[in-house]
Amino acid sequence: MPAFANYHCKTTIDCQQGAVRAVRYNVDGSYCLSCGSDKKVKLWNPATGLLLKTYGGHADEVTDVAGSCDSSYIVSSSLDKSIIYWDVSTGAPVRRLRCHAGGVRCVCFNEDSSIAISGGRDNVVMCWDIRTRRLDPVQVMKDARDCITTVLTNENKIYAASLDGCIRHYDIRVGEMICDKVGEPITYLARTQDEQCLVAGCQDSVVRLIDCETGGLLSEYKGHQADDYHIECGILANDAHIVAGSSAGDAYIWDLLEGKVLQRIRISDNGGVVHSLATHPSRSEELLFARRRDMYVFTTDLQIEEEQL
Amino acid sequence: MDDEESLHRFGTPLPTLEKDVVPAKKPLAIEDQIVKDENGKRRFHGAFTGGFSAGFWNTVGSLEGWTPQTFKSSRAEKATPRMQQRPEDFMDKEDLGEFGIAPQGIRTREEFSKESEEEQRTGQRKRKLMQPEQVGPIPGVPVLEHLLRPVRDKVAMRILKSMGWKPGQGVGPRQTKKEKRQASARNKREQYLLEHYGAEGLSSLEQQQVAAAEEGRADDNDDDEEDEDITFAPDDYEPIFYTPKENRFGMSYSGLSRDPILSKSSTAHPAAPMQHINLFGQLETQPKQKPLSIRGQAFGVGAFEEEDDDIYARDDMTRYDFSLADKKPKQKKIQHVQQRNVIDGFSEDKSGAALQKPYAIDLPRDFKPRNWLQRRTRFEPMDRERTKKLEARNEYKRTGLGRHDLNPEQRAQLLGEQKSQKKDQQPEQPPSRNPFKERNKLLDLINAKSEGFTKGGLIVDEVLPQAEAAAETQTTATAMAKQVKDANATIQEKAVRKTKDLASATPSAGFKPFLADEAKQLRYDKFLEAQLKTDAEITEFLANMQPVTLSLWDREMEKKEFIQAAKIYRPLNGLMYDRFVSEATVQAEQIKEQQKPPEERKVVMERTKAMWKPASLLCKRYNIAEPFGGSMLEPPKELKGRPKISIFDYLETSINSKADFQTPSIRPKHMEKPKPAVLVPPPLAPLPPPDAVVPEPEKEKKVEEPTTVKPSFVPRTPLEQAVDESREKPISEKKDLFRSIFEDSDEEDPVPVAAPAITSLSTPQEQLAAINEALGLPSTSGVSASSLNVLRNNSPPRGIFAALFKPIEELKPKEATAPPKFAPIEGNKLKIAYKSREERLRNDKELAMAEVPVEDIYGPKLPEKGAAAKTHAPEADHVEVGIEAKLQHLWQKHAPKKRSAEKWVEKKALSTDDSDSDSSSDTSSSCSTSSPAKAKRTKVSKSKKSSHRSASSKKSKKSEKKSKKKSKSKSKKSSDRSKPKAKKKKSKH
Repeated sequence: MPAFANYHCKTTIDCQQGAVRAVRYNVDGSYCLSCGSDKKVKLWNPATGLLLKTYGGHADEVTDVAGSCDSSYIVSSSLDKSIIYWDVSTGAPVRRLRCHAGGVRCVCFNEDSSIAISGGRDNVVMCWDIRTRRLDPVQVMKDARDCITTVLTNENKIYAASLDGCIRHYDIRVGEMICDKVGEPITYLARTQDEQCLVAGCQDSVVRLIDCETGGLLSEYKGHQADDYHIECGILANDAHIVAGSSAGDAYIWDLLEGKVLQRIRISDNGGVVHSLATHPSRSEELLFARRRDMYVFTTDLQIEEEQL
Repeated sequence: MDDEESLHRFGTPLPTLEKDVVPAKKPLAIEDQIVKDENGKRRFHGAFTGGFSAGFWNTVGSLEGWTPQTFKSSRAEKATPRMQQRPEDFMDKEDLGEFGIAPQGIRTREEFSKESEEEQRTGQRKRKLMQPEQVGPIPGVPVLEHLLRPVRDKVAMRILKSMGWKPGQGVGPRQTKKEKRQASARNKREQYLLEHYGAEGLSSLEQQQVAAAEEGRADDNDDDEEDEDITFAPDDYEPIFYTPKENRFGMSYSGLSRDPILSKSSTAHPAAPMQHINLFGQLETQPKQKPLSIRGQAFGVGAFEEEDDDIYARDDMTRYDFSLADKKPKQKKIQHVQQRNVIDGFSEDKSGAALQKPYAIDLPRDFKPRNWLQRRTRFEPMDRERTKKLEARNEYKRTGLGRHDLNPEQRAQLLGEQKSQKKDQQPEQPPSRNPFKERNKLLDLINAKSEGFTKGGLIVDEVLPQAEAAAETQTTATAMAKQVKDANATIQEKAVRKTKDLASATPSAGFKPFLADEAKQLRYDKFLEAQLKTDAEITEFLANMQPVTLSLWDREMEKKEFIQAAKIYRPLNGLMYDRFVSEATVQAEQIKEQQKPPEERKVVMERTKAMWKPASLLCKRYNIAEPFGGSMLEPPKELKGRPKISIFDYLETSINSKADFQTPSIRPKHMEKPKPAVLVPPPLAPLPPPDAVVPEPEKEKKVEEPTTVKPSFVPRTPLEQAVDESREKPISEKKDLFRSIFEDSDEEDPVPVAAPAITSLSTPQEQLAAINEALGLPSTSGVSASSLNVLRNNSPPRGIFAALFKPIEELKPKEATAPPKFAPIEGNKLKIAYKSREERLRNDKELAMAEVPVEDIYGPKLPEKGAAAKTHAPEADHVEVGIEAKLQHLWQKHAPKKRSAEKWVEKKALSTDDSDSDSSSDTSSSCSTSSPAKAKRTKVSKSKKSSHRSASSKKSKKSEKKSKKKSKSKSKKSSDRSKPKAKKKKSKH
């Protein structure tokens, strides 16, 4: 098991786009994206805190964003029921996809970024063909009974977590839908690097580790407060630690196997919900948190700490 | 002429005149003088008709002719967009010259050349040399100020302009001529004084103005006729700044400055003598700054000064007043309110009310000024006097009017009552006390006297008893009052006692249910206090208290009453206790709850699996082969997918949802069906009897028919082959097949499927065959009705047909449960069943042909029960019977004359054909939706039929033919529908 080193705040970025709704890394973790309540998406360099680009065009709060595999496009979902496919360099919206009946909650790309998958408040998961100019979804999955909170995909499966307490695996290869009922509303879903397990952040302030194969509950991680917030969770790149935000202005890191709290990261002393976070896709030393208007870059790098001192 | 060589000559010299030659030449006549331009062309012509000559003989052309403008544009050289035409394009060269209408040359723009008019005229700027308040080495207006000129007016200027001021005018209200004159005179005098004695700063310009004003005055003198209405703007003049005299020089003498020449004014900056020359100094001149220039009467006029006319500053005698009466004292001073400031609709008040003096008011001596707007709080201590006054005024309120202070005696005294006690001391009331009463008495006496007089009685006798009586009444009254008082006291005492009791009881009991019976109430109170719980205790407790006189039953009742009352009349405190909780306890509970660790909810993971068909494009994009080769069951189509919503969608779905019509032919066989019980067609006997219709809804029937027939069916014609093949294909792919079918049908008349399918038969052979078949005779063609089913259109009825066939589907089960509509048919049931069996025998041959061992049949085996049910399908019978009835009805209708004489068809045969027909066509079933009245008729006819058993088949054939013809016209739709089937049948032959 890799040794755990405490995380320290490296950079604090005031995103200046209202409340930050989500923070995400791009495919290789060199850039990060933030979605604001001011209907904008911003592209940052997390290392320096440099604002690289602002993408404006949504008509309502942006809820989620994802970068394509070649980092040349961005797809963002908004409460205006639309998904916008952006060109990174020009900042122009290439396509605006509207078919959801409610606000779109989450969005992701498939591995080669040819399909964008979105889930919304209309309880529907939609797959959009990005390659063609088709404006209607390729496929619509209407199985969920409540708002879709997260969609994930790998090379042959689509995972959709919903507030109805179910995680649905759409296996494209087998042609079947597997529904794992947890029973608690799932606010966020993350997948381990080996794609064996899912990390589900539940509304009852428990992060659950679920086995993909059998659907069994492997472990539970407690200690944080989810309250009624859309608290996100994540798993670090080394697949050894689980991280989740909390409504009291801090974040928790658990050991995956033992389930005990390794670090309670005090992000702010004056409250604020740490609702969104992003784990670096390759380096387990980097973490992103979003709280209120700010984005926090955390790292285990001690050098920076020294520099700061 | 040495002198001349040094001279420059301008112009052309006149021709020198010869001395002796006298100029004889006549000067040119005016008409001969021709104006020519520089090119020698004649400029003017046609003095009476034209004017300027322009262009070529006043045309746009030339000697060579007019050449229109050319336009050329090539790919390499794009033509520039059409030039804007300017007026200059149409002008001659002369027009652009110095004296033309559009002279071209560099000039300062108007806004930059806001100099005096003469400067504008000459076109050159002269530096103003004479600047009185000149500071610095370079005389005149500072150079930079001359160069840099504010383009815009100052703000103050703009404001003034917006108010109607014009440059050159003075500021202030408009004046009449007279006023203006006065003002100018005053101004002039002031200027003069200033010039001679006061401070400097009078520019030449102002002097000019003064002079102009003087002139104006002189001019105005003659037309002294005042015109009050005409007002003028006031003259502009410099405000005069009076500077205090700080030195002891003579008047207006400033002397030489002690400052170095290059420094600024010593007074302004004494600390910085060697300062840089400020070129902008003049721009920010302070008005009170002392000028440096050496100027004064003592020194005359400088070289740069323009005004050299006033070198010696002679005093003009006109500037002095020579008489004191020169200026008449003004009768009235008109206040000049700027007319501009008067709002529209208002006029100036001429009366001058504003000048009226306010009247003085005689104030009372002890008047204290007070600000009444300033509010005082009620709690502020009042001033002493006021409180005293108030107190005095409200004394009665506090003390009362004094009425109640009197005791009865006093009151009696006041009332003039005679008091028994005091009677002794005061035998008689003082007369002064109540003179009126006294008088009354007297009157009474007089009256009595007079009465007595009239009655003849004695007055003297009367007097005494009356007095006595009065005394008596007085005593009784006092006694009464005493009594009343006593009574009141007792009542009050009682009340006090009672209320006291109540007050004491209230906290414990709250309510007194037994107030009527005091003893009982007492007991009840005690009972409550005791707070007994058990029944035995209560009885014992009460038994001790209750009087012995109380009967046992009463005791029991009392006990019950008490318990009940205790329950009902619980003190409020206790009553509400259940309902309300103090906040503190709630909070405490909450805290307790929070502290209590949330119960561990065991999360049980449930996993369910379901079929899901990924879209092919999705698979493609994920680079995954479609599961099951893309042949997965399509999820039910959603309306959402359609781009447009048509009302027909709703129409169709409302009648029958598409999901109900799942044609098995579309479904691939190798796929495992999610619901095998419904979807997998049950295998039947290789060739079921045509009448053995499955007792299921029509849709089910359709489902099974093609599959059941399949094993026995061997395609004979290419069309049949195509049909066979296409069974596996979706409907959309069957198009070709249908086309081939329908093209044929266009050429020929439609052929009926079976006899009772009420369609017309074109050829007699066919008719015969059909009828034979219907009658159960060995068919000439040798085609069984069941084989026809292969060719049936299995697609679900749509549109109008859907609406047509839906009711039948619904009707059928109804019939099964409620057959009374076709009551007579009930009797025939057995026979029909028998017939069907008979027919089966008849079709033996076919059976033999088609029979396949059970083991060979594909698919799961049908349960025995279902198979058995099929053979005796009651619903099917009903349908058949319905058709039969219909047929019968038609027959009756169209051949009524013959009926009486005709020979009746054997019922057996008829019913047979009916059964035949039904199994093969749904058109017949549509006919079964006949009205009950029709059914009744058929009932009658049937009964008749049964009597005529030995009827010839020939007759029946004829009648059938007729009925068919009629029915064709009647039910065209049904016949249309049967067309393809007929065709199929034909193709089989």
